[in-house]
Amino acid sequence: MAAPLVLVVLAAVTVRAALYRSSLAVFIAERVEVASPLNAWKRAGRGPWWCHTWTQTGACGSIASAGPVRCPCTVSCFYAVVEGLALLDLGVSPYSGAIFHETPLIIYLFHFLIEYAELVFMITDVLTAVALYLAIQDFSKVVFKKQKLLIELDKYAPDVAELIQTPMEMHYIPLKVALFYLLNPYTVMSCVAKSTCAINNSVIAFFILATIKGSAFLSAVFLALATYQSLYPLTLFAPALLYLLQRQFIPIKLKSKSFWLYTMQYASLYLCSLVVIICLSFFLLNSWDFIPSVYGFILSVPDLTPNIGLFWYFFAEMFEHFSLFFVCVFQINVFFYTIPLAIKLKEHPMFFMFVQLAIISIFKSYPTVGDIALYMAFLPVWSHLYRFLRNIFILSCVLIFCSFLFPVLWHLWIYAGSANSNFYYAITLTFNIGQILLISDYFYAFLRREYYLTHGLHLTRQDGTEAMLTCSPRSC
Amino acid sequence: DQAEQFFRSGHTNNWAVLVCTSRFWFNYRHVANTLSVYRSVKRLGIPDSHIVLMLADDMACNPRNPKPATVFSHKNMELNVYGDDVEVDYRSYEVTVENFLRVLTGRIPPSTPRSKRLLSDDRSNILIYMTGHGGNGFLKFQDSEEITNVELADAFEQMWQKRRYNELLFIIDTCQGASMYERFYSPNIMALASSQVGEDSLSHQPDLGIGVHLMDRYTFYVLEFLEEIHPASQTNMNDLVCPKSLCVSTPGHRTDLFQRDPQNVLITDFFGSVRKVEITTEALSLDRDVAGCESKFLEEELATEPLKYAEQLPVAQIIHQKPKQKDWHPPGGFILGLWALIIMVFFKTYGIKHMKHVF
Repeated sequence: MAAPLVLVVLAAVTVRAALYRSSLAVFIAERVEVASPLNAWKRAGRGPWWCHTWTQTGACGSIASAGPVRCPCTVSCFYAVVEGLALLDLGVSPYSGAIFHETPLIIYLFHFLIEYAELVFMITDVLTAVALYLAIQDFSKVVFKKQKLLIELDKYAPDVAELIQTPMEMHYIPLKVALFYLLNPYTVMSCVAKSTCAINNSVIAFFILATIKGSAFLSAVFLALATYQSLYPLTLFAPALLYLLQRQFIPIKLKSKSFWLYTMQYASLYLCSLVVIICLSFFLLNSWDFIPSVYGFILSVPDLTPNIGLFWYFFAEMFEHFSLFFVCVFQINVFFYTIPLAIKLKEHPMFFMFVQLAIISIFKSYPTVGDIALYMAFLPVWSHLYRFLRNIFILSCVLIFCSFLFPVLWHLWIYAGSANSNFYYAITLTFNIGQILLISDYFYAFLRREYYLTHGLHLTRQDGTEAMLTCSPRSC
Repeated sequence: DQAEQFFRSGHTNNWAVLVCTSRFWFNYRHVANTLSVYRSVKRLGIPDSHIVLMLADDMACNPRNPKPATVFSHKNMELNVYGDDVEVDYRSYEVTVENFLRVLTGRIPPSTPRSKRLLSDDRSNILIYMTGHGGNGFLKFQDSEEITNVELADAFEQMWQKRRYNELLFIIDTCQGASMYERFYSPNIMALASSQVGEDSLSHQPDLGIGVHLMDRYTFYVLEFLEEIHPASQTNMNDLVCPKSLCVSTPGHRTDLFQRDPQNVLITDFFGSVRKVEITTEALSLDRDVAGCESKFLEEELATEPLKYAEQLPVAQIIHQKPKQKDWHPPGGFILGLWALIIMVFFKTYGIKHMKHVF
């Protein structure tokens, strides 16, 4: 399986290299959907010599040679990286401006690699894809083993033969996952825009690989790194814990001592590595400036540049008096689904991981298309659910249409002046609704398949007539 | 006494900013108001280069005007205030709050022509006349925006701080006009308004031939008054009063910010451009002190260096290379700590047995 993977990797690298050299690179780098305040490239790196003349207010406009440049990016765009390092060269803390919101480890990484930025991002994407490939390969084996075990234990109903996954169809899933990630237009755009979201994705991919391989220590370390960079992967603690418990054959009962012991071990590994990384970042600049600048920024959402998320419009029109309350409500929304999903999906931690990733990328404060690309890479793993998906055609149409309408309405709003922010927000809303419906559709399909597996495909009521599995209005 | 009169007002030039904030045919009277004041001001000596006239200018050539190319201000079409030599500086949609404030404060883009600028200095007396539709605290500009009394007061304060006027006469002819001068806080401003807060300013008379009201009462009587003034007249501001029987509304005035007594303020100080020129045939005797100052001045002059322009281009500084900036490097401790951690993680995961292969 290595050869097709290498081929896919080569194709992806070629596409990215071609786009870097083309004039689209600048255009894509400016798009708000791709570059958010948290992962702006120009804000982290040290640019060419004329960057030194920037002031603290950040004259992003001087960098691009093509056309009028506005700096729409806030969290994850390259502009921020370049500016941060330029500020450092001027002897000023990069967090003193309001643009740079990267963690110190990113500063360290790009300090040495700024000239090879494009290469770095391409290699990051390739690493993510390879990590996902290996992870899903292992996961497929685990799924197959578990399926075999359950068949032998007669846990499945007799007539579900067509629902069982066969090795034949599972053979190409890892390759498809790598393909989905590398050649997804969202990933390509994110890489060309040099959004540090790629690095975030890579860390999460390695975390998933470590979890599936069963190494609690590595998985805790990578999760700590992911949480350190953007706060939200904290919620991935639960699915990783569930997976590791399952792997160790520890039953998930609240009263069981071994459960709590393992949980404590994993949690302490995670927290210790997080504390170590934060303390280490202190030593980079000898100041704690980065904590309000990075985490305070993520949590309090001060920057309301439009992006594909749900926060900006709401907070742009809100009175100061209520903003704290609503910030709390919105942030809790991200973390809120973890416990209910953990209770429902405790037998299926990888699906839980997928749903959690999707929830993070929809509800986080500054989402970009790079986050979407990551959870979309997992869709081939559940391609066997296709027959149970109900709205897949409409949803894929919605997602594709909205992706095309984003730049159109942005142009109409900002340049032509004939639309306003409502238009753009409408598309944002529709896009997010599409994503949410996609996830809930997959969720429903997954649960339905599980039900059929245990109760048989041809459901009968008590008196023998055929029954239909519908969902009650409450659960769908 | 003559010298005292000579120094009565400290101004050396006069400017006028005349603003009509309405457009459309039924607001004919506002344009006529403004043009009447323009005519008087020009007649009394202020040249077009010192007048900033802001009009919607859609009356003279309006299709509903039975007498095209004219704007009349008296009944029976006695007085055509449009004439042949009207120079409108801001016309039609250029009459906006932004442009008005930019003219006043001088914050004008460099491409603006001279005729659109208020190039006053600290020895200028400025007449500002505004007319249109107003309310309590605001004045409506062309049906789409308004200027508030606070904005106006702040603009005048900016003018004061930038020394853009010596004295300022502000006349406003709108409904509830007195509210517009309530917020002034800069010195040397005298304000006149056509009506108090809560009152409406009324228009004078309709003309059945043209079909609209031709002028507002207050400005009509001001115009009648000004027609009697000539550049050498000694009439003062206390005479510029419109009795209630004629104006129906109660005109207001504000003189508390003005440092001179209105009794001593000539009409021509603001409405005309009267140069302070006195021709005398007698020799003036200077004081002994003045002579002493003069000789001291001569001595100092010899001692000081010849004056030259300040250095505008510090060429020497530019030519010098900027000192090379030291690049920032991460501290050694950080790098050490980071790599130590990475190596520890590696070995913890993959076992110590690899150590012996490394060493």
